[in-house]
Amino acid sequence: METLALYVPRLLEKKENFAPGHRACSGCGEALAVRMVMKALGKNVIVVMATGCMEIISTQLPYTSWEVPWIHTLFENTAAVASGVVAGREALTRKGKASSRTKVVAMAGDGATADIGVQALSGALERGHDFTYICFDNEAYMNTGIQRSSATPFGAATTTQPVGKISMGQNTWKKDMPAIAVAHNIPYVATASPSYPFDLMNKVKKARDIEGPAYLHILSVCPTGWRTPSDLSVRIGRLAVETGVFPLYEVENGKYTLNIDPPQLRSVEDYLKLQGRFKHLTPEMIKEIQEKVEAKYAELVEKVLFYDGF
Amino acid sequence: MSKLTEIRWHGRGGQGAVTSAEVMGLSAIEEGKFAQAFPSFGPERRGAPVLAFNRISDSEHIRMRSAVTQPDIVVVLDPGLLGIIDVTRGLKEGGVLIINSSKSLLDIKSEFEGPWTLAVVDATAIAMEVLKIPIVNTAMLGAMVKVTGVVKLESLAEPLGERFGKLAEKNIAACRRAYDEVSIAAQGAVSQRPEKTFGEVTWPSWQELLPGGVVTDAGNARSYRTGDWRSDRPIWDHDRCIKCGVCMLFCPEGCVEQNEQGYFEANYYYCKGCGICARECWTQAITMVEEAKA
Repeated sequence: METLALYVPRLLEKKENFAPGHRACSGCGEALAVRMVMKALGKNVIVVMATGCMEIISTQLPYTSWEVPWIHTLFENTAAVASGVVAGREALTRKGKASSRTKVVAMAGDGATADIGVQALSGALERGHDFTYICFDNEAYMNTGIQRSSATPFGAATTTQPVGKISMGQNTWKKDMPAIAVAHNIPYVATASPSYPFDLMNKVKKARDIEGPAYLHILSVCPTGWRTPSDLSVRIGRLAVETGVFPLYEVENGKYTLNIDPPQLRSVEDYLKLQGRFKHLTPEMIKEIQEKVEAKYAELVEKVLFYDGF
Repeated sequence: MSKLTEIRWHGRGGQGAVTSAEVMGLSAIEEGKFAQAFPSFGPERRGAPVLAFNRISDSEHIRMRSAVTQPDIVVVLDPGLLGIIDVTRGLKEGGVLIINSSKSLLDIKSEFEGPWTLAVVDATAIAMEVLKIPIVNTAMLGAMVKVTGVVKLESLAEPLGERFGKLAEKNIAACRRAYDEVSIAAQGAVSQRPEKTFGEVTWPSWQELLPGGVVTDAGNARSYRTGDWRSDRPIWDHDRCIKCGVCMLFCPEGCVEQNEQGYFEANYYYCKGCGICARECWTQAITMVEEAKA
């Protein structure tokens, strides 16, 4: 486990920029992730947020949980709106009316990132706007009732890929969104998990301080959609890392670093068996998942070692 | 003119109020009646108060599609809602109010007696005994059928069987037990409606809203109470606490605060009782205690 360096209060920013009173499910891993991200970002940011769980639970008129300027966007244009806000900020900076240090941060779910908003995101990354894009990945469209997205992992039961005679849950593998971001040759890409809070907050700070586009992919456990008890959210997030299902790594200007590298990966079964969405899996399917996870992990380790050679 | 019965269910997200309404509607259709069943809730999540409605007509199509505002029957699935929502709002004179509570009819009577029939059943106890989980919707169906006779008890069996599959038998058993155990007060003893005031939110009118729905008061969600979603609350044992603050770190609400002595405590105005703090506490200093017993 990450060294939490006892006595969190001394290390943690006390101010909550994501105010309580939001209406997330109890035990929501995504609300926890947003809270940590906002602690790390500080107040000098403009948040652009796509439609999704986080938006509707935090901004129900006439209330808002946000302590910073915040703008609503649709699924498909989060990165485009963020680009526009960056351009506006730059124009105002030229006129001396704004600070170029104000960071623009786009936040979206996995559906808004990997499915609907991917073209706008690709465009914004390629044009090289100075913004940070954070994807909160809860592995399905949880807001509308657990429909599969392209980030849903293989075998997971969703309401549109249910389990029965014909279907055994999601029949495709999870889209590798961080790799897509890396392919744009941007300065910073990282994966993070709220179960490793200081790792997450350091990455957010790094992304914020980099000039140019940065992409963060955060795994957010969803007790409602993953069919897990609400008190296990942090533990399941940790298991995702310990089993290699969701490795924590960062890519700085193409150089890979593995942030949490357990000496021995745990069996994926430890991760899968806690979740109701995987309870129908046969031993063969679990074996298939295990092999795929190991292969992906080996691929990642190879990249890390390759860059270590320089 | 056929008889139209309107029913309102009060529950919390995930408790099965919506399922109750569905099963009730299907049972009525089973008997050759006309029925509607539909829920009403905002974007709130698991644990937040929700409403579900039924309209049941003996012999005519139901053309009305709006929410039920003047119900003949009100069913309250969660005793915790009694203090935060006016469950009797709009309840017709001569109607029926059925409450799930471990309190006796006498205790409930002092608070909720009015110009209607009042009934109480300890559906949570029944559910815990029969189903081993505190999901009370099927038990409340049994109690409601006994008190109101809107449909026959037998008519519930098929929709329940269809809905619950393998678990149907147990749910039907819970239903029957509640049918037998519900206690009913004689109707009409009091003609006065109970006077209750709730801290209800006053919503701005559309003229008062800024264009684009802009909210200028940053972080004003702090005034919104989410603490009443909670069914268990975390309690800190100061003898075991090492003041590390992991509970504060992992709270999705950000509602764990450090007090002057350096110990941590949850702000129960926001705490939803998810239990992450108790699960993550290294020294197991935090236990989750059932709200009713805290």
